[in-house]
Amino acid sequence: MAPIELLIELTLMPLIAFIVGMMMVLMMRRIAARIQRRIGPPFFQPLYDIIKLHGKRTQVSHGLIHDIGIVMAMGGYIAAETLLPVPGMNGIAEKGGLITLLYLMMIPSLGLALGVGQCANPNGSIGIARALTAMLAYDIPLVIVIFGVAYAAGTTNLVEIIATQQAGGFATWGVVEMPLLAIAGLIAMHASLGKQPFEIYIAPAEIATGPMVEMSGKYLGGLFVMQCFQLYTTSVLYVSLFLGGGTTWFDFLIKSFLVLAIPVSIAYLFPRYRTEDLLRLMWKWPVMLGLIGLAFVM
Amino acid sequence: MIFSLLDELLIFSAATVLVALILGRGLAVGWMVTILYAGQLLVLIKMGALGYGGDPIASEVSLSVMGQDLSWRFDALSWFFALITLVAALLTSWFSCGEWERKFKQQGGNVWLFHLAMALNVFTMLILLASGDLLSLFIGWELVSWAGFLLMAVAGGVATKAAIRYITYAVVGGMSIFGGIALVYAAAGSLQYEAILIAVEKMSTGQLWMLVLLFGSGFGIKMGLLPFHLWQAAAYAETPGPGSAFLGAISSRMGLFAILLVLVKLFGIVNIDSLKIPFTLIDARDLLAWIAVFTIIFPTYTALKQNDARYLLAWHGIGQGGYMLLGLVTANSLGAAGGLLHVLNYAACQAALLMAVFAVMHRTGTADLNKLGGLVARMPLSFLVLLTGIIGLAGLPPMNGFVSKWLVYRSLLEDGMPLLFLGTIIGTLGTILSVYKLIHNMFLGQLRVEHEHIREAPWSMMTPMLILAGVIFVTGLLPGIPLTWVTAALQTIGLTGPEITLGGIDSSSGSLDMIWVIGVLFAGFGIGAVIFYSAGPSKRVHQLDNYAGGHFLTADVRYQYSDNFYSGLMHLIRGWYRGSFQWLENSITSLVEFLSLGMQGIYRRANSEFYLLSTALFIIAWVVF
Repeated sequence: MAPIELLIELTLMPLIAFIVGMMMVLMMRRIAARIQRRIGPPFFQPLYDIIKLHGKRTQVSHGLIHDIGIVMAMGGYIAAETLLPVPGMNGIAEKGGLITLLYLMMIPSLGLALGVGQCANPNGSIGIARALTAMLAYDIPLVIVIFGVAYAAGTTNLVEIIATQQAGGFATWGVVEMPLLAIAGLIAMHASLGKQPFEIYIAPAEIATGPMVEMSGKYLGGLFVMQCFQLYTTSVLYVSLFLGGGTTWFDFLIKSFLVLAIPVSIAYLFPRYRTEDLLRLMWKWPVMLGLIGLAFVM
Repeated sequence: MIFSLLDELLIFSAATVLVALILGRGLAVGWMVTILYAGQLLVLIKMGALGYGGDPIASEVSLSVMGQDLSWRFDALSWFFALITLVAALLTSWFSCGEWERKFKQQGGNVWLFHLAMALNVFTMLILLASGDLLSLFIGWELVSWAGFLLMAVAGGVATKAAIRYITYAVVGGMSIFGGIALVYAAAGSLQYEAILIAVEKMSTGQLWMLVLLFGSGFGIKMGLLPFHLWQAAAYAETPGPGSAFLGAISSRMGLFAILLVLVKLFGIVNIDSLKIPFTLIDARDLLAWIAVFTIIFPTYTALKQNDARYLLAWHGIGQGGYMLLGLVTANSLGAAGGLLHVLNYAACQAALLMAVFAVMHRTGTADLNKLGGLVARMPLSFLVLLTGIIGLAGLPPMNGFVSKWLVYRSLLEDGMPLLFLGTIIGTLGTILSVYKLIHNMFLGQLRVEHEHIREAPWSMMTPMLILAGVIFVTGLLPGIPLTWVTAALQTIGLTGPEITLGGIDSSSGSLDMIWVIGVLFAGFGIGAVIFYSAGPSKRVHQLDNYAGGHFLTADVRYQYSDNFYSGLMHLIRGWYRGSFQWLENSITSLVEFLSLGMQGIYRRANSEFYLLSTALFIIAWVVF
């Protein structure tokens, strides 16, 4: 591949992810609104929000690490997008693979954790402690799922995993071949988004919104951008593993939005779990489903 | 007689011990010893061809003791371990020069003994690494054990207690190894590696099992493999700063070296694979793999509970050893390379982390995670080193730990071992949790009033720390460089390495190119920074200018969350810490005490007729049966 083409791909992939991610935020808010019998925000509201937050006059910083944390939170996802194949573009997916992608997705969490820690607010620190505990909860079923898919495909190369599913048609999609893993993956994905009932680290009633307690202006804006990327990355990864990726942008986007709509719709119907209940739930049901699913794959 | 390069190295190392012994009470001994370590490292670099598959270098010295030939030589495996040992010694010794030494002396520490013990440790480790037959291996092994004991005991008090606990374990391990050597000698009639390799082919399953158990547990004690891990954390954590960093980085890995040499090279993975455990589906190799995984999980989650930074890291040291063993017993090209590479990667991370912790301790006088906080504002460079180290230890990109762990994960995936794979990930997640607790409670959050005026660590400490941070990053960016040495080392024990590129691994079932991964990661950070900093200036506020639910914060109010850090998690898993291993150790101790009391009782009686009678009965029984 010509270097210039690769460069264009590496630029386009995060950019598209950002735009699609903003639309996903919009969808999330609209679904929430419909469930709560409201109309919901206008189409460009996510973009307005990001611009507004970055344009605030008072930006409160608690030191350099606070700033760097936000930069890492955004930058980690921007980098992760280049390892996530989309229709017609593979970026550097073949140079990293699934495991690298999984670990790159932890960099934003680490950045956020560092930034929040620097804020010197115990509410924030408790939020991060809970967020990391949640990570320990959902990553265990998630890893079983990833292992199952990679083992069944015989590779950790995401491009090949998608190509195999597309070549064989619907019958070879992960969701058909490995339904139990697909269900476990969906639950783990839901928890990884941190939406209700797994919203243990925001918890405004207990810990004053946790990690966000000292975030204002562009700091909150940066986290908003991160959320756009997070929604996109999670749903696209799921589509790539279980729904055959996308042959065209049209079916790719439809699949991604539909996948995301499931946890989002559930989220606004439920209250929130306590931390230990989340752990218990995650280590019981998705892990069990995942292990049974794995047994079928092996 | 013409000395070979190996002789030069050993003589240099012995000279270092002498200098520390004779001039140790004089001025600037630390600097002198450090320069001598650098000299040893230079000789080792002269032997650099070994790291690229050069011919082994033999020592011109050989002894014959009671008909046994003793010889010493260096091959790629020894060279790889020696490189880590000497770099760790050089940097930790550098760290100890100047201010640290002065403070240590003020607090009543014995600087002379400290440097002597360090030099002895390095010298004995080199002798062990150079061993050319089982007998010289055993001699080296015992020397390393006792040198380690000396360094651990330097600080006195709690440290001595921990050191005695260590040496008790080490003596038991030594006896177990000695028993193994006796069995090998009975079977092979010689202790030379060539003769043993031939004899192993003819051994029965029972003999092999016995040897695997004896050598495995003997060497495993040094590595802190479950269930022999209890001695390690306290022994390493209580050693004076630089010594702790040195021991933490490399000392346990001598056990791994010996396991590689004896179990993998001499007995062979194929032979170990054929040792089935009756009535189960597993064999000796699976057993080793599972021990490795439990060694990852249990100590890591014990680390999560610690409230002393030194202990937290020392417990992780035990856990990380599990990744190395696990990778090596998978014995496929990816796993073996990952396991061996992790020795180097971990050594760099652990030394950097412990040095950063001891730098903080040097300034604040405590490593208690509930009594620190907010130090990033006062010690930013130490923070940077600690951050680099924890990213490496947790195995996240862009640091070196990611590469070696990636190789181990991939090998388990390739072999289709989901539960072992899951175990490694559980360990990694636990590591991420506890290292965040480490960095948060020390460097982030509220700065305490009493730490308002402390300064960054002195340059004599900062420079080696920064060098190590550089090593962690560069070996993460260009893992091809150490992987070349690893491949050469694997060949000497009969394993093959993977296809290497400068940026990582080339494999048909998924490659890794760290240059690209790190490239896009930093590009991502760059874009993030552009978005962030283009949004107008931010206002720096004081840490007390903070949300407190309507209250005013003052400097005397502790506004830091540090105790019981993962309370939600602990609420669930607290009951799982049962201290079973502690119970096991206690019961064995009680049993030994009981037996020795009984023996004492028999001796006290001094009833000669009784002895005579029992001996006679025993002899009759032996003759009859």
